[in-house]
Amino acid sequence: MTTSNNIEPKVASDHVQLVHPAVKQPLVSHALTGHSSAPGRSYRLAESPRHIPSPIDFDGLSFPSIGARERREDTEESRAARIEKISGAVRTILECIGEDPNREGLLKTPERYAKALMFFSKGYEESVTHLMNKALFQEDHDEMVIVKNIDVFSLCEHHMVPFTGKIHIGYIPKNGKVVGLSKIARLAEMFSRRLQVQERLTKQVAMALQELLDPQGVAVVMEASHFCMVMRGVQKPGSQTITSSMFGVFRDQSKTREEFLSLIRRSGI
Amino acid sequence: MSDSQPNSTSDHLELAQPTARQALLNHALARNTGNSPSTERSYLAPDYRINSPIAFDGLSFPSVGARDRREDTEASRAARITTIAGAVRTILESIGEDPDREGLLKTPERYAKALMFFSKGYEESVTHLMNQALFQEDHDEMVIVKNIDVFSLCEHHMVPFTGKIHIGYIPRSGKVVGLSKIARLAEMFSRRLQVQERLTKQVAMALQELLDPLGVAVVMEASHFCMVMRGVQKPGSQTITSSMFGCFRSHAKTREEFLSLIRNQ
Repeated sequence: MTTSNNIEPKVASDHVQLVHPAVKQPLVSHALTGHSSAPGRSYRLAESPRHIPSPIDFDGLSFPSIGARERREDTEESRAARIEKISGAVRTILECIGEDPNREGLLKTPERYAKALMFFSKGYEESVTHLMNKALFQEDHDEMVIVKNIDVFSLCEHHMVPFTGKIHIGYIPKNGKVVGLSKIARLAEMFSRRLQVQERLTKQVAMALQELLDPQGVAVVMEASHFCMVMRGVQKPGSQTITSSMFGVFRDQSKTREEFLSLIRRSGI
Repeated sequence: MSDSQPNSTSDHLELAQPTARQALLNHALARNTGNSPSTERSYLAPDYRINSPIAFDGLSFPSVGARDRREDTEASRAARITTIAGAVRTILESIGEDPDREGLLKTPERYAKALMFFSKGYEESVTHLMNQALFQEDHDEMVIVKNIDVFSLCEHHMVPFTGKIHIGYIPRSGKVVGLSKIARLAEMFSRRLQVQERLTKQVAMALQELLDPLGVAVVMEASHFCMVMRGVQKPGSQTITSSMFGCFRSHAKTREEFLSLIRNQ
């Protein structure tokens, strides 16, 4: 933890210490979690993962939301209570936009929306260790492994409107430590089922994979279409947003990065 | 005289309407309503004395609160936004998120404004939208506007469904409409809480009412995110609905020509 203090710039806000030892402080940069530990803290560029404590918590959760642990321990009743609460809120919303919540088509919509939203945010409560299911293997393989064209569907945290696209993930194993391929896609799924920002989603997937495998390098590229931009606002349907996150050899060696990028571009191998 | 409407006193108000068209509308309204035809206030005919898809003030199949919403002042509109924003805050807390973190701080207001935008179709007036863009042209062949992107909200899950709509008609007596008005009609009916079948039918009915053409054909293909992002989770799937009136319904060759013209390229 002291390592991160050393590389912080010396500004007035630095003297604010994060001092509740019982609570795991989000020392990862604001840009990575979206949670600001000190409200006045200015935005900092994401630090290198070497200076950041583990992205995977003691109980397997990764960058959970504030209420994620509570949600994880939900009983049947408390889960039903959540659904009730969200349904009530949706009924209010339907009335406010001038619709009739009692007409046939909308009668069960509050409950359906509530369940849909709980599904769209289930990524918070998933445990990485449980997801991985011990699918780490030893293989005599030290070349690039890529899983590409993984469909991801996430919710924009600013408008709560979906953004959807494809994510391409690659890594180079170290000492032959490889991971089950579906686990890579499951990681992407877990981080996408949240209220996200595309930059953060890409980075979190990369960081989690880096932490789990400790490979020579991790590369993640995501291209997505944001419906907050397509359906409203500027209304540009053809546009795509592309973000990437490179760690290890993919960051240091441009030839490796180029190879990854050309392999994900090729279609119909 | 078709009598699928339960209230037969409505018939004597419609003497000026051609019986065949009235029958068509009755059929469409009775079959297409969200509620059973026996309820007084069916969704598609909120005022049961009026059978036209376009009401006296230009609204078309408005929601229950649409007229209220239309007469919003700045203050009442702000009040709507605030109420929706409060509801969204509750929702964010319920799913276990922190509504006070930086990224979510203004999200309730943003969502409220986005949702008001996504449901603005209720309060639009067709007459205002058409802007008197009806013209006389010596043209009696098919006119098609295709590949119109539409974005709507599924009324069952409040999750978007998006796709393309293709609209065609054959003018009667040279009465043609400004082409962008066709797309604007599609836009107006899509900015609501919709079901794809109903959206297709409402567009067709409105165009039929406005133009009184020889026929109207509407085909829509869309991808439903309630099916793609959750539930059965099938991303490649598309739902296709169509609505044919007039000569498109009665003549198979006309229909085929329309369908092949929207398929090419």
